[in-house]
Amino acid sequence: MSIKENLSPYLAEFNGVSLRYNKGPEILKDINFQLKPRMFYFMTGESGAGKTSLLSLLYLHLEPTKGRVRLFGQAIDMMSRSTKAQIRRQIGVVFQDYRLFHHLNAFDNVALPLRLAGEKESDIRKHVSELLAWVGLEKQMKSFPEELSGGEQQRIAIARAVIHKPTLLLADEPTGNVDDAMAKRLMYLFLELNKLGTTVVVATHNAGLVKNFHFPQLHLAGGHLKEIPAAESYTEMASKIFKREEDHE
Amino acid sequence: MNKKSDFLFDKGSSHFFLPWICALMVFVATLATAGGISTYNSLKLWQQSVAESLTVQIPTYDEDGNPRNELAYKDIENALMLLRTTPGVSGAIVLNDEQMQELMVPWLGADANLAELPLPKLIDVNVDAAHPPLLEQLKADLAEKVPGAVLDSHRIWLGDLVKLANAMLSLVIFILILLFATVAAAIVYITNATLSIQEYELSLVHMLGAQDLYITTHYAWHNLKKALMGSLIGSLIALPIILGIALFLRSISTQIFQSGLQPLQWVSLLLIPMATTILAFITTFYTVWRFLKRFV
Repeated sequence: MSIKENLSPYLAEFNGVSLRYNKGPEILKDINFQLKPRMFYFMTGESGAGKTSLLSLLYLHLEPTKGRVRLFGQAIDMMSRSTKAQIRRQIGVVFQDYRLFHHLNAFDNVALPLRLAGEKESDIRKHVSELLAWVGLEKQMKSFPEELSGGEQQRIAIARAVIHKPTLLLADEPTGNVDDAMAKRLMYLFLELNKLGTTVVVATHNAGLVKNFHFPQLHLAGGHLKEIPAAESYTEMASKIFKREEDHE
Repeated sequence: MNKKSDFLFDKGSSHFFLPWICALMVFVATLATAGGISTYNSLKLWQQSVAESLTVQIPTYDEDGNPRNELAYKDIENALMLLRTTPGVSGAIVLNDEQMQELMVPWLGADANLAELPLPKLIDVNVDAAHPPLLEQLKADLAEKVPGAVLDSHRIWLGDLVKLANAMLSLVIFILILLFATVAAAIVYITNATLSIQEYELSLVHMLGAQDLYITTHYAWHNLKKALMGSLIGSLIALPIILGIALFLRSISTQIFQSGLQPLQWVSLLLIPMATTILAFITTFYTVWRFLKRFV
């Protein structure tokens, strides 16, 4: 079974979406927004504002208690489990707590999405080695998560999320445990992916990051979502960032 | 399936318990089946030998307890003449004193003096199994020509043997169902325990886009291999024991357990580990499939 062709102009659409855990209070209230293809978004808000919950709805970990979520043009409440699995393969997720397989080394953790997709082992070796080198972990390929620092684990989590060039990348505080230089490097990795066509959503409460990059924001406060457009046109801003990067190199 | 993605089984209880539970159950099931089938075969053999023979009793003492030697010999001659001319009777012989002694050993011991007992003379009649004689007609002819002779067709015995043989088969089937149900319940328990331990990994794999079928098949194959290993161990221990018992019984018994197992029945004992292995696969598949429903 294959995913139907996305006839919607949006990658994700939320209409009147609310979420509560069991009988607790509503974490998200009447959320309405759309994610456009090939865009870069920041998801902002205080800790506990519901960023992680909203991301969980986007990667099909949770279902809304009210309203409708459409992903890749299909309503998630109408999808078969098989279709949901196929959609998950088009989404890369960087978790705040990394969620690595502790009994797998760095290489095997990153290789997992490709192996689940049935890629050839020779291709997997090539791509995973290249990506781990890019995030500065070429010497730690055989190391297990427990042997690595928080920042190194975070980079493995990011590499795992992007290795299969997802259509949608969701990153929950992806730069929380790395120094400024590495944070910038990781952001350029996301930008590079975005340039290749991946829609990126970065959840962060790092005001500096948001200020530096000027992308449109999905701001959560009190369970409500407010869209804040980019300060300048997306194309202009993206080209400036890439120019800065080229000058820097 | 990608061997490298065999990540699901880094930890969990199925490694140790599953093969040993399967080994134990297959061992017990194989012994029970072999015992049941062997007993069934023996009963069937008895049934066959009883069905192919009749016994005619000629009284050697009259109602007042006086010996009727000459009359008895005349009755025997008449009876033999009648039997040998009856269609469906393939042979009739009078049991001699030695044969009577041998027959009475289980009840009276080897040293009993049969001459002092008012035992009737016995005529062993062999019956053509394909065309048996008409028993009611034979009974009437005997009553006319040899008054006082008793025809024993062993019908009561025969009925009991058939019931016993069928009961034995039912018992074997019941034991097998019970054992397979126990194996299935144990696999459900072990698999659920393993899944609970590995829930973190499972949720991650699920989140990375693994299909339910991929995960369930992965676990099912894993348990199939473990169950196959255990089942073969159970079989390999049980079969030599059964062979040993069969040889022992053959050496000490003249008739009762001579039948043992037929070659095809020996082969059928190998169906038990195969059935256990397939049961492990199906049960694991179903258990994992249900467990995965907790994820969106």
